[in-house]
Amino acid sequence: MTMTKTPDPLSKARAAAQELHAALSDAATKQGGAVKADLEAVQQKTRALMDSLKTSVNAQQEAARKHLKEAIAKLDTAQKHAMEGAKSFGQAFEASVRKTVADARASAQHISEALAEERSANARKTGK
Amino acid sequence: MRNFIAVVFDDTSKAYRGLHELWQLDNESQITVHGTAVVHRTDWGQYQVDTKETNPALATAVGVGIGALIGALAGPAGAAIGAAKGAGIGAATGGAVGVGTDLFRADTRDQANVETARVLGPGQSAVIADISEDSTTPIDARMRSLGGTVYRRSRSGLHDDAWYADFDYPYYLYPYEYIPPAYSQP
Repeated sequence: MTMTKTPDPLSKARAAAQELHAALSDAATKQGGAVKADLEAVQQKTRALMDSLKTSVNAQQEAARKHLKEAIAKLDTAQKHAMEGAKSFGQAFEASVRKTVADARASAQHISEALAEERSANARKTGK
Repeated sequence: MRNFIAVVFDDTSKAYRGLHELWQLDNESQITVHGTAVVHRTDWGQYQVDTKETNPALATAVGVGIGALIGALAGPAGAAIGAAKGAGIGAATGGAVGVGTDLFRADTRDQANVETARVLGPGQSAVIADISEDSTTPIDARMRSLGGTVYRRSRSGLHDDAWYADFDYPYYLYPYEYIPPAYSQP
């Protein structure tokens, strides 16, 4: 029988944040109209990821929890910048897109740091 | 341990195999990868980073900072310069701080380029990564099997280094395995 590894909640959250950053950085290379459509889709993905993180944050140990709270804050800012971008034009629009990508990058970073804390704690427990 | 690594390979295709293996180690939970990039040194000595931006001039400009990062990863000179920078800023006051720091930075950038050239030769490629690892063995063993040479430095040590100031972190490192279409073909 083949055993399939089930990803833990943090791994899943990180995968979602990575996907979000990939979608945004792909969108940033497109022209204005196409990016705006992507930005609207991004807002929904961001909200879904924030909700998922909020439900799993309390189950984490203190160090990981701190990173996850920072990730949620960054996602909140990303959502605001995406919203501004969808309504703006020209340089303001470009600045919003850049900020949204940077916030998504930062949130992925914080989730990754939380995952590292969790893995390290597990390794200490199992003595590996 | 939170570390930055540069793994140097003789060619680009090997570097992308190295990048893939790094993310595989993450997938196996042996390490956690926070961000990666692949940088090349052209035959003319310029650094180029593979990004989603298609403008080669931009990629080269980006490469200046990442070249400095590789220099900082290269070893003892970087650590010594970091300590000297801290002492210089601590001793200076007022407007002299800015002037002194700028001069110092220009000087260290030159030294970084010299140091980097020893690590990454013309035509070579390197995987740069920000990682967390409990042991250095998994990366060292996996990269050695691919013919890569690993340079490693703690993130905290790097933050004290003058060269690190030129490294615009979020801009360079992708938080997932990014392989440009040109290299993603089997």
